Amino acid sequence: MPEPLDLEYDVVADDYQTAGEASNNLKETLKMLGLPSSVVRRAAIITYEAEMNLVIHGGGGRIIANIDEEKIEIKTIDRGPGIPDIVLAVREGYTTASDHAREMGFGAGMGLPNIKRNADEFEIETEVGKGTTLRTVIVFPQDTGKE
Amino acid sequence: MAHSIRISYSACHGCVNCIKSCPTEAIRVINGSIAIIKDLCVDCGECLRACARKALGLDDDDWDLIHTHGVAEGLPDPTFFAQFGSFWLPEEAKKTLSGNGIDLLTDEAELAFDLSAYAAARIIDEMSYDQLPLISAYCPSVIGIIQLQFPELLSRVLPVKNPLEIAAELWRKKTKSYAPMTLFTPCPAKITLVREPMGKEPSSIQHIVSVRKVVHSLMASGVKVSRTEPPTKSGWRFPTWGVRGGETRHISKFSGKELTVIAVSGLRNTKDLLQQLELGRLRGVDFVECRTCDLGCFGGVAVPESRFLAHLRNRRIETEWNLSEKRAHELKELYEMPKLWHTREPIPSKQRLPLSSDLGEAMERMKQMKAIFAEMPHIDCGACGRPSCKAMAEDIVREQGEITDCIFKLREGISSLASQILSLADSQPHTIQKRR
Repeated sequence: MPEPLDLEYDVVADDYQTAGEASNNLKETLKMLGLPSSVVRRAAIITYEAEMNLVIHGGGGRIIANIDEEKIEIKTIDRGPGIPDIVLAVREGYTTASDHAREMGFGAGMGLPNIKRNADEFEIETEVGKGTTLRTVIVFPQDTGKE
Repeated sequence: MAHSIRISYSACHGCVNCIKSCPTEAIRVINGSIAIIKDLCVDCGECLRACARKALGLDDDDWDLIHTHGVAEGLPDPTFFAQFGSFWLPEEAKKTLSGNGIDLLTDEAELAFDLSAYAAARIIDEMSYDQLPLISAYCPSVIGIIQLQFPELLSRVLPVKNPLEIAAELWRKKTKSYAPMTLFTPCPAKITLVREPMGKEPSSIQHIVSVRKVVHSLMASGVKVSRTEPPTKSGWRFPTWGVRGGETRHISKFSGKELTVIAVSGLRNTKDLLQQLELGRLRGVDFVECRTCDLGCFGGVAVPESRFLAHLRNRRIETEWNLSEKRAHELKELYEMPKLWHTREPIPSKQRLPLSSDLGEAMERMKQMKAIFAEMPHIDCGACGRPSCKAMAEDIVREQGEITDCIFKLREGISSLASQILSLADSQPHTIQKRR
């Protein structure tokens, strides 16, 4: 079994101009690996929303994608304010985004719910004042990448 | 798949302007002249705009040849009527051009565009919230971009044939004639649409000539718009499709609901909108219209008139949107014949080949590619004949290029060779005294 492939992206806080680059880059990489377009799309959505969360709430952070022959794991790590109420945060439409973020067309309260909907595994670890780590996994369909 | 760009190898000097302009990275320079990767070209015409030496042109048919063979059946693109220094009402154009040996199929075009908008409105009205928005199928370049870069969106493309194709079929049905028909096109994309139609069904159109050629030829023979005052009202709906938002308005007028729509033009806007759609960010929108050319088809590369003026002329005209009872009845009847307007097969995706068909192997090559890329200058100069350092790294792992294709890496190689030679020159036998 080949060594897994690691990809890392730094995301800068409040940088709405380049937000979306990690998602785009990951999408291109997964396409070149020949993964099915449904997997590519779900990974792109998760990365995009995670990127947005880092830009809007997390004070920036890192996205780490780890690909092996069966799945892709996407982790986001920030040292931001943490999430006080997880149950509320994954509810559709709930938002704590600033007015500025919402004026830019972001922060509609769909980020975490969207991530959850597109992931096969979804874990969140958060501590108020310390930061948040989000771990998601997409499992590839059975016959992926076999000649 | 074919493309409809003609390359003049004698005019091409191997500069890299076109490579950089291509939205799908379909162009390479090999051995001093350009090569287009057919499977990646979407016929947007961007490279024609970028080429200062006019080495790239439209691969259309010979209008003089077609025109000398008796009466030419001419299917006008919606952009056609704003090209003659004024807005030409289609009925006036038809009358004038009949004296020039052209039978302009205006009525069939109007009916076809009406039918297309009518069918689209019915389909959208029946869709559920989750299935919307649907995407316009009119611009063939947009379809190409979706096939290549957003394959997950193909199921959202409106399953309605291009109205120009429907117009040709309507005319054949009506006249039972096999006379060859010529489409006047504003862009290379519509040429490919006719020459290589999607699916197995052949096109009902035989020849394609650029709007520019036809207009220039007509103007040279003295044809002009007879009226001095531009019209302010028009009973014709299909010429509005030449400008961004024309299709959207047509569909909205025929829909039973208040539609939420977005219409964009230009490559950047098209790609951005499709990306947002793919990321699921366009909830609550019913229909999106994208055109790769600025301002819509009036911005096409094969249109002679200033797109700004053409746009202005079109905007000044008040269009009649209410259908006559007869037309409403006609549309209802034609709508019941889906063979006429519904696309026969789903659009296939056109994704690039993966680095390998085996995932493990592809992952290994991806790592190599990243390692090669890390060593490159990252200035995307194009001197290697590829659009970017990334494309170069990809070509190397696909065994379609050498690291020395990069002039910076070549210089490094020469420099290290030179220092090796120098150090060899310095290492002399001990019997000879060392030079200072």
